[in-house]
Amino acid sequence: MVLTDRQNDALAELINIAFSRTGAALSELTGQRVLLSPPSVSVHRTTDLPIALARYIPGEVASIHQVFAGPVAGDALLLLNYEGAMELTNLLIEEPIPDFLDESAREVLTEVGNILLNACLGMFGNLLQVHVSFSVPRLHLESLDDLVASLLTGEDDRRYALVVSTAFQVRDSAVSGFLVMALSVASLDRLLHEIEEWEGRQH
Amino acid sequence: MTEPKEEVDSDRDALLNAAVLRWMQELAPQGILLTDSALNVVGWNRWLEERSGRRSKDVLGKNLLALYPDLIERGLDASYKDALNGQVRLLSQRFHGYLLPIAPTEFKGYAHMQQSVRISPLSHDGKVVGTLTIIDDVTERTAREVELQGQIEIRSKLLASEKLARKESEEANRLKDEFLATISHELRTPLTAIVGWATLLRSGDLDANASARAAEIICRNAHAQTQLISDLLDVARIVSNKLLLTLTSVDLPSVIQMTLDAVAPEAESKKIHIHSTIEPEFPRISGDADRLQQIIWNLLSNAIKFTPIGGTVDVRLRRVDSEVEISITDSGIGIDPQFLPHAFDRFRQANSATTRAHGGLGLGLSIVRELVELHQGSAQVHSEGHGKGATFIIRLPIAGPKSTGLSEKTQSAGISDKLAGLGSQAPLDGLKILVVDDEQDTRDFVRAVLEKCGSEVTTASSAAEALGAFESQRPDFLISDVGMPGEDGYWLIGRVRALRADQGGQIPALALTAYARTADRLRVLRSGFQIHLPKPVEPTELIVAVASLAGRGQ
Repeated sequence: MVLTDRQNDALAELINIAFSRTGAALSELTGQRVLLSPPSVSVHRTTDLPIALARYIPGEVASIHQVFAGPVAGDALLLLNYEGAMELTNLLIEEPIPDFLDESAREVLTEVGNILLNACLGMFGNLLQVHVSFSVPRLHLESLDDLVASLLTGEDDRRYALVVSTAFQVRDSAVSGFLVMALSVASLDRLLHEIEEWEGRQH
Repeated sequence: MTEPKEEVDSDRDALLNAAVLRWMQELAPQGILLTDSALNVVGWNRWLEERSGRRSKDVLGKNLLALYPDLIERGLDASYKDALNGQVRLLSQRFHGYLLPIAPTEFKGYAHMQQSVRISPLSHDGKVVGTLTIIDDVTERTAREVELQGQIEIRSKLLASEKLARKESEEANRLKDEFLATISHELRTPLTAIVGWATLLRSGDLDANASARAAEIICRNAHAQTQLISDLLDVARIVSNKLLLTLTSVDLPSVIQMTLDAVAPEAESKKIHIHSTIEPEFPRISGDADRLQQIIWNLLSNAIKFTPIGGTVDVRLRRVDSEVEISITDSGIGIDPQFLPHAFDRFRQANSATTRAHGGLGLGLSIVRELVELHQGSAQVHSEGHGKGATFIIRLPIAGPKSTGLSEKTQSAGISDKLAGLGSQAPLDGLKILVVDDEQDTRDFVRAVLEKCGSEVTTASSAAEALGAFESQRPDFLISDVGMPGEDGYWLIGRVRALRADQGGQIPALALTAYARTADRLRVLRSGFQIHLPKPVEPTELIVAVASLAGRGQ
């Protein structure tokens, strides 16, 4: 499925607002300037995600996962490759951590993912004017294939994935990450419809 | 008759609710805090009661932000606002440390119990009606991680220091390789001259002048070679801690004068003016005269080597409190500041270009430092930099080094002093000498030298042959090599000393050997020889040694 230019621009614009809020929240939390680079958006079949992302996440993937439920339901995830997850943690807590993700480092990543996912989902919720409930965020370390397989075992059919690529910019470093929202066809249709409406109201 | 389904369900729901409430209130291993949508506390479980010191009756109905005002100061009220907007918030220990200021139960090093916190909205009919906060005590985990981190840092420091050590050892190896290359070059250079001129001499094509010149060149190069080898042996002794001093009372001014005389030809050939200032009535010091001379000789030859033609070298000897100070200043090429700290290092020269231009192994100064330190003195060098000359300063205690228990005691130390007392043209007249050596060249050389002094020489090429000759010839004096194929010199002297006096058991015996280490010397002397002379030996040295032991020329 391919987004129209109009849908694409509107999504990117909305998500960028959520990203700037995320950056501000992380900056306040860490005491250093954190920016998220402008998003680039695409839609894939969930089953195609491994192909779409394998280039960026060749090995183990660290995912911060929140399930959201309500009139629009799905899975929201922040994906980082393992090295990226290590680097981001190092950059944000500014003190040396072991050369693996210990529990505190995992917790830090989970909070970062939580802030980002809340910002994006919160905005979509406001836009759609629906009440969406969230699960507690969880961090998983697994292969991309296993992750996608777990997304497809849900009760409803989350056949599409909205993929937003960005980079966390901290000091002189940038760590790439992906925001992924796996949605049912109905949820995606509704989201895109509302976004077009919103875009129309902006002009 | 069965009950209606709704009633079963509602009974079960009531049971479940009661169980969950009971668990939450009494048993949960975490803090569970419930608020309404105005953040008034409506639930405060046993865990929180026990750890916070606040009973639920004291907090229920009160506003959370009023109970814990520092939540606002630390910006954590925002997380509750998010929760009231329907969001789940996670607060990591690393970023926040804790939610509620509670004293830790263990790990008292922390001011507050370290907490990992989840704040969720409580919804009813699609509306947020309150918040649920779950607090985990992660103090132990945090302490463990900090400790692990400490260990990792120690490990990485160890790793770094290992790397450094490896780098240093590689550098030392590199210097050694370079040094070996220099050695082989330096040893070959005089050999080339010796072999070349010796070949020309043997051809018989040289006239008298050229022959004399050839002999002089061979001699000079052989001396240079001897000096190189003796430097190497000194370094070997230093490395194996086998360099020992023979302590006597030393007249330093005369040692310096002797050394100045020795280097005078070298200085003259470069038109270098040597000026010396020696304080009058200088005290004798305790030290090893030969080694002190070696120190001064090394420094003086260095000064001459690195000073251009027409330059000056200044030697000063003065007393400073309980020490003596020898300073040697030259107007030579100087030393670059970055090389100064390494000037006394073994195997080091400022650069290989210097080596090529000036020759030498770069051992002299390291030997100087070791010898000075053996005397419990100090060696320093100053230079204003390249082209500005250099000053070497040696300080030695007048009292000398404390005795190390074992010191070399050999007859050879006195030989040079006895040279003066040797007047006769044929000092060994009629002395019957047995010379034992497995090498024909050495036997011939020793025979030639001794016969020139009037002695009658018999030679033997092995210890066994020597013993036969000993019985048949009854010599007055024995000169023997030590290391020989078959029976060696130790065996020979053992057999000789086992004889009765009238059979020659008391014969004066001199060992002439390439075993030049102190340990070898001591073993030679203990085995029954009275004199140990290391090869190569100078003719005069040999004559003096034989004469002094045979009681001639005294």
